[in-house]
Amino acid sequence: MTGFSERLKGWFGPEMAGPGLALVAVILVFGLVSPQFLSAATFGSVAFQLPELGLLTLAMLLPILTGGLNLAVTFTANIAGLTLAWVLQANGGADAGAGAFALGCVLAVMVGAASGVVMGLVIAFTRAHPILVSLSMMIFLRGLGEFLTRGGDVSGFPAFIGPLGHGSIAGIPVPLIVFIICVLAWHLLLTRTKLGFNTYMIGSNLEATRYSGINTRKVIVLVYTLSGAMCAIAGIIMLARFNSVRIGHGESYLLITVLACFLGGVNPFGGFGRVIPVFVALVVLQLLSSGLNLIGANQHLATAVWGLLLVGVMVLRFAASKFKISFVRKGT
Amino acid sequence: MIKKILVAALATSLSFAGAAAAFAQDAGKVGVVVKIGGIPWFNAMEAGIKERGQKLGIDAFMVGPTSADPALQVRAIEDLIAQGVKVIGVVPNDAKVLEPVLTKAKEKGIIVITHESPSQKGADWDFELASSTGFGEAHGKLLAEKMGGKGEYAVFVGSLTVPLHNAWADAAIAYIKKNHPDMTLVGERYGVAEDVDKSRSTALDLISAHPNLKGFLAFGSQGPIGAGRAVEERRKVGEIFVLGPFSPGQGQKLVKSDAISGGFMWNPKQAGEVFVTLADKLMKGEEVKDGDEIEGLGKVKPDFENRNIIVDQLVPINKDTVADLAAMGL
Repeated sequence: MTGFSERLKGWFGPEMAGPGLALVAVILVFGLVSPQFLSAATFGSVAFQLPELGLLTLAMLLPILTGGLNLAVTFTANIAGLTLAWVLQANGGADAGAGAFALGCVLAVMVGAASGVVMGLVIAFTRAHPILVSLSMMIFLRGLGEFLTRGGDVSGFPAFIGPLGHGSIAGIPVPLIVFIICVLAWHLLLTRTKLGFNTYMIGSNLEATRYSGINTRKVIVLVYTLSGAMCAIAGIIMLARFNSVRIGHGESYLLITVLACFLGGVNPFGGFGRVIPVFVALVVLQLLSSGLNLIGANQHLATAVWGLLLVGVMVLRFAASKFKISFVRKGT
Repeated sequence: MIKKILVAALATSLSFAGAAAAFAQDAGKVGVVVKIGGIPWFNAMEAGIKERGQKLGIDAFMVGPTSADPALQVRAIEDLIAQGVKVIGVVPNDAKVLEPVLTKAKEKGIIVITHESPSQKGADWDFELASSTGFGEAHGKLLAEKMGGKGEYAVFVGSLTVPLHNAWADAAIAYIKKNHPDMTLVGERYGVAEDVDKSRSTALDLISAHPNLKGFLAFGSQGPIGAGRAVEERRKVGEIFVLGPFSPGQGQKLVKSDAISGGFMWNPKQAGEVFVTLADKLMKGEEVKDGDEIEGLGKVKPDFENRNIIVDQLVPINKDTVADLAAMGL
């Protein structure tokens, strides 16, 4: 029993306060304003829209935890998607078999990981700032993609890929299942493995971690590699959802992934932050945008509301931490 | 304590959910997703959608994404499906990206109408207010009229790789060749018409090189403006005629001074109205038939195989209309 309450406390830690309250607030406000908001259809729509942004956010999360940033997430995802698209095309386009798809996915993940390896190596060995390195990688990948596709899109995929983007198993959207598996994998990685522990350590204090005998370079390279591989998964889902790949797809997601991380209580300077609150933050952002769409608000307003929400959560978090300290003092 | 509040809040919100489900489906709503929100073209379209919706008593609205990213259009459509609208209208950024989500909408029994995307997969109907031949021929005809059916003319397009501009140019040149054999095309077509300065300098060069040049046909939003300026600079207003589609607000002055003789466009506001008119018709279960008279489209001749309704509802831009069009912000 105590184990359960401990676990609950673990899930609803201090980072959870902001996104958790925001979630309740969003559900309450929209539930009252629009009678259609709390319907299965809305949540279905959210469930289908969440994964592509969510997977990219997971890719952004690991580098942020080390105090870095990966600005190349969207373009890495599309380059990986293009890899898969070309493998499928080389094997007969719409007639390609499952084997070609599997091969394409493996290659896509490898391409994504390769982009991560390069970034990781440069960041670890030259000590250049991750923003600069990933920005360079972003520009490079974008240019490469535009050059290879001439800015157009690649399409014509076998029909069995469709369900990966739009199908459901037992009422649960397939992309959501993929996303939840990835969330759990990231959660386990960060809470149960040495790499996860070292990621937090590096984010807290790189020098101290290095002096404690940890190969920080190896950890950084691994972190960016995993980030790149996660981008590739996002790219594969995007390919299935959009039925085509173009280098610019989902360009607008880049900054939202950073927003979701911060909303989920991840420290911008690294070292602190957990996966589950980030997941809740993503749900909040998606509910907010779907809710605003539902009541027919201007799309540009949604962006402003996201910004306000972020500021609001920051203030709440500050207030919550104050409250907690005084509460603890009174209690003892 | 906090946890208890959370649980209570969740419980209340869930009880709302049960009550809400009963209201979910109300009278038919029409949602139109456009390429991008906040630009004059689609503001005019929104005005058309709103006005027509009010007139017919339909809840019709426009969704304008914040950037022209096709991914955002997919999201907007998913939300419209969730909202339970009866009709979804789309002006696609990328026809292929929308295929799966539009198919999904259709599976849910939603009527899908598209614009500026002929033969869109997943759509019930696509409507166009200008056919590429009709649009090109209208310009060719007007140029021949202005030039009196003889003399030399030059053709600008946005770029040699823009299929639409070149289709217009093909149609215009073919029309002139057939009906006015005394008119001759100077050189090849020039791919400068998306750039004011390039259009201007190319026009200046052509005027110097060809003393008998009497007309410019410029397909591409900046071409008529640049060529018009060149004609004005050389004081050839009234001798050399410039025609083509352009933004009325930008070209207003040049039209007033006769440096640009005119051109054609289609009216986004009218397109917005047609979205709602068609939605209304289809929601009532009426079919679009050959020879039907539809407000905003005129007499239609639908292409049933590809599900296209293409008409030529061109709006002339000339001295009389330019001020009104510019006032609409176009």
